[in-house]
Parts: sequence; structure tokens; C-alpha cells
Amino acid sequence: MGYLAEGFRKAFIILFSGQEETFSAIFTTLKVSTFSIIVTLAVGIPLGFMLGYYTFPGKHAFRAVSDTLMAIPTVVVGLLVYAFISRSGPFGSFGLLFTLRGVAIGQFVLGLPVVVSLTASATEQMEDSVKMTLMTLGASPGQLAASSLWEGRYAVIAAAMTAYSRIISEVGVSMMIGGNIKWRTRTITTAIALETGKGQFAEGIALGIVLLAIAFAVNGFVSVARRRASI
Amino acid sequence: MTNIYELMDVTQSYGGRTVLEVPEMKIGKGSIVGITGPNGSGKSTLLRILAFLERPVGGRVYFKGEPVIDIDETLRREATLLLQESKLLKRTVFENVAYGLKARGMKEGISRKVNQTLEMVGLDPVDFAGRLWFQLSGGESQRVALASRLVLRPEVLILDEPTASIDAGSGRIIARAIVDARERLGTTIVLVSHDIDWAYAASDEVISMFSGRIRSRTIENIIPGPWKDCPDGTSCRYLENGQVITAVRRPEEGYSTGLLDPDDIILSLNDPGNTSARNTIRGTVVRMNLENEEGNVLVTVNAGGTVFTSRVTTGSLSKLGIVPGSPVIIVFKANSIRWV
Repeated sequence: MGYLAEGFRKAFIILFSGQEETFSAIFTTLKVSTFSIIVTLAVGIPLGFMLGYYTFPGKHAFRAVSDTLMAIPTVVVGLLVYAFISRSGPFGSFGLLFTLRGVAIGQFVLGLPVVVSLTASATEQMEDSVKMTLMTLGASPGQLAASSLWEGRYAVIAAAMTAYSRIISEVGVSMMIGGNIKWRTRTITTAIALETGKGQFAEGIALGIVLLAIAFAVNGFVSVARRRASI
Repeated sequence: MTNIYELMDVTQSYGGRTVLEVPEMKIGKGSIVGITGPNGSGKSTLLRILAFLERPVGGRVYFKGEPVIDIDETLRREATLLLQESKLLKRTVFENVAYGLKARGMKEGISRKVNQTLEMVGLDPVDFAGRLWFQLSGGESQRVALASRLVLRPEVLILDEPTASIDAGSGRIIARAIVDARERLGTTIVLVSHDIDWAYAASDEVISMFSGRIRSRTIENIIPGPWKDCPDGTSCRYLENGQVITAVRRPEEGYSTGLLDPDDIILSLNDPGNTSARNTIRGTVVRMNLENEEGNVLVTVNAGGTVFTSRVTTGSLSKLGIVPGSPVIIVFKANSIRWV
């Protein structure tokens, strides 16, 4: 157990001394995950809302696919995206492999089903009385849809935070698409995997602490949003 | 008085089951119409049709003399419905009350209108406007919901049990605000309430519904089962204190509820002795309501746990000299009871 305690001691030294390599991985993670979640939400919230709000042919099949993809292993997403953006793939000419843009695409694929399915669930679970209230107040169809989405905002925020948790903690996509290139595509999770493999527990623990802190903060938001959604 | 609504042969059904049949119904502009009836009698369905929230499967609805063909927000903005437990939007009180105005693009003087309407429902704008939806009691929420509709100055205000699940103080304020809306704005009001006293006090006309139909344009006595077929060829129902209601035999087993017109019930202070009426039942006066238009009085009598309402003239009432708490005998014929 001594090496663990020693690992924690060194981890705090690394964090408080501002070691460049460690902070490079932290900033890279924040940069790519923030970009990924923004794009994921921009696409996923409208899609999820339409899936939950409207009735159309194939709705249940689409929902089943989205629900299933929520649990897709990150390495499978990595593999699929790799196949598309590698040199011999259909999008090989864009030069996305081993770039943060490539990682962001993978994370988008990973987070999208989470946002779509959870937003659809939140919309479906919205009480009929909310829709009825908006109608009795004279909302037009457009106002009805926009106001319904706004009324479900806390559940949608919870969906967004859940997707962000999945994105920031994934390792498969970042490793396979990003390639774990130091100073460029190395993220917190790929760095932890690497440092642990090298026996450098202190660096791994330091990055793990940062990741846990982010996860706690995100889950704190999720918890508050869920409480507000249920009032 | 011109009619704001006319319903002709309106029917509504869900999943093949007919829940509402209205051969004819008219509601005068600027009137207050009360609707009473037990749960499942079709009141809420009728209200949703009047509020243009659903389209009947059959018949025609005329609004302000025009047939209702397409239901859209333009039409819905003429009639607004307040539900029993209205849902507030997850916003501040101000935003809730202002929502309908903003939806209509009426942004001029919005603060003044919202504040005035909050005062109308007894809520101080300084204290309440900034509160969030979960910082209100049930009664305050219902008052905000009413303010959200009153601020729109709707042509028709439809209320489904607006005071059923709130405190008495809020109920009184809501009742007063509704009557004020008619007096000040000329709003036509359609209200469903189990509070018979209020329904009669507030309404120009009270409609009684049962089993999806309008039974009368006044209150009607509903005598549910269990009814038994008696050896003498009548149908009987035993009251809790052992007295018996006798009715003509039910046509068949499916008919399980008796209806009795308040005009068919005679009140007597003494046993009438030999009479052709089969029913002489002892009870106690529990309530008296003046009917607004006719000037008659509806006297409600509790007899062995079953409530009967009789319509008497004010002259007869003063001759009888009864008050709530007086013992009386209600008299009616066996063939006055109709079966549904």
C-alpha cells in the first residue's frame, strides 16, 4: 500500500507544481470534450426532442437504435470512426486521423445517442398537463414545441451532463483516433493508461484526481438538474 | 342575449366508447353557466370541446355564430381553460402570467397588466412576481394560473373545478375574481364545480350532466344503486337508516341509476297520510340555494345518507318556514324516477 500513498503524495506535488506535460493532457481533454459536447448538443437536443415529441413512421425503430447505441463500447466507436477517417477510408483525404478533430468526431458519435435518447425520454415523460397548459394559454404550434422543450430544460441539462461524463471519461476513441501523441492528442484518459503501463503511478493518480474532480462537478450539476426537473 | 356557443348533435368517443352526447346546447354571451354531475359524466370532455382543445367526432359546434371547422391557436385564444390543478410553467410568477400575452405578441404595458391581474387574484406583485413556481402553495399556484388567464381578457373563461383542491381563502378569492371578470370584462364563464352552493350562487344557469348526457338545464337528483327488484313489481333502494325508495320496475338489469326531477319532489312538514305517492321519506334540510333567474329555491334534504333536492317557490318556502336543520318529509311518486 505504501506505493499508493507515495503515488498520491507525488500526484499532489505534480498538480501543484504545474507540470507542463500533465497540464497539457488536462487542457487537451477540456478542449476536445467541450467542442464535442457543444456539437453533440446542437445536433442531439433537436433530434431527441423531435423523437420524443412527434409521432412518425419508424419512430420506435429509430428510438431502439438510439437506445442501443447508448451502450456501445468506446473501442467499437473508435474502430468505426478509424475505418472511415483512415487513409484508405472514405474520408481519408480530410487528414483527420491522429488529430483532435478526429477525436471530436468519435466523441460526437459516442455522445449523440445519449443526448438523443435521454432528451426523447425527458420529452415523453413531460406531463400532458404541461402541453395542455400551453395550449390553453394560446401557444401556436411553434411556441408549443419551443416552450415544451424549455419546460423540460432541467431534464435536458441532465441528459447533456450524462453525455459529457461519457465523453470526458472515454479512452477507446481518444487512443485509437488520437493516437495518444504527446503535446497534441494526449488526453487525461490516454495519459493515465500510458503512465500506468510505464509504472508511473504518481502521474496516473494526479490525472485521475483531476478526472474525478471533473466527474464530481458534472454529476453535481446532473443531480441539481434532476431535482429541479422533478419539482 | 346572443349565443356565444351553440352545440348541435355533438358526440365524443374514445376508443369506440361514446363519452358525450349533446343533442343541443346554447350558451349566452356574457353569461355564467355552471355544470354539475358526478365523476365520469362527461363534464371535462365537454369543457375540452368548448375550449377547442379537442374536436368532437360528430355534430357541429358554432362559436359566435360561425361553425367551428379548423381548430387553431387563433380560435383557442378566444376561450381559455383553467384546470382543477393547473400546471404552472417552470418560470417565475411574472413569466407565468405574462406567457399568454407574449404568445399573442402583446408586449406593450406587460408589467402593468401582469401586476394588475396579480392584484385581482389577491397576490401582491412586489412579493409574488419574482417567485419561482415551486415557491408557491397550492392555493397561490391556482391563483397564479387564474391570473395567467384573466390577464388575456378572454372572450370565454372555462373552469374545471377551480377551487376543488385548495384552501378556503384562496377558493373565495378565486370565486370573487371569476365573478369580477364577468362584471368588468363581460367574459362568458363556464364552470364545473362540485360546490353546489357556489355553482348556484355564481351561475345564471346550472346544467346537470350524467353518463355523458345533459340531463336537465338545472340540477337533477341522481340516485345510484344498489336497486333491488321487489316482489310487488317495483324496484327498491334501501337508505342507510332503513327507509326505502320505491320506483317503477327497472326496464332491465343494465339500468342501475334513478333520476328524479327536483320539481317532482314535494316537501311536507307532516306525514301526508293517504296519498297516491309511494314515497314519503323523512329527512333533514341541509342547504337552501336561490336560483338566480327563476327566483325559486332549491332545498337540499339529507335522508338516510342520500341527498335529495327539491325546487320550491319562495312563497311556499316562507309558508313551510323551514331552515337548514329542519326535519321535513319528502314526497314523490314511484313513476317520477326515470332510469339510466
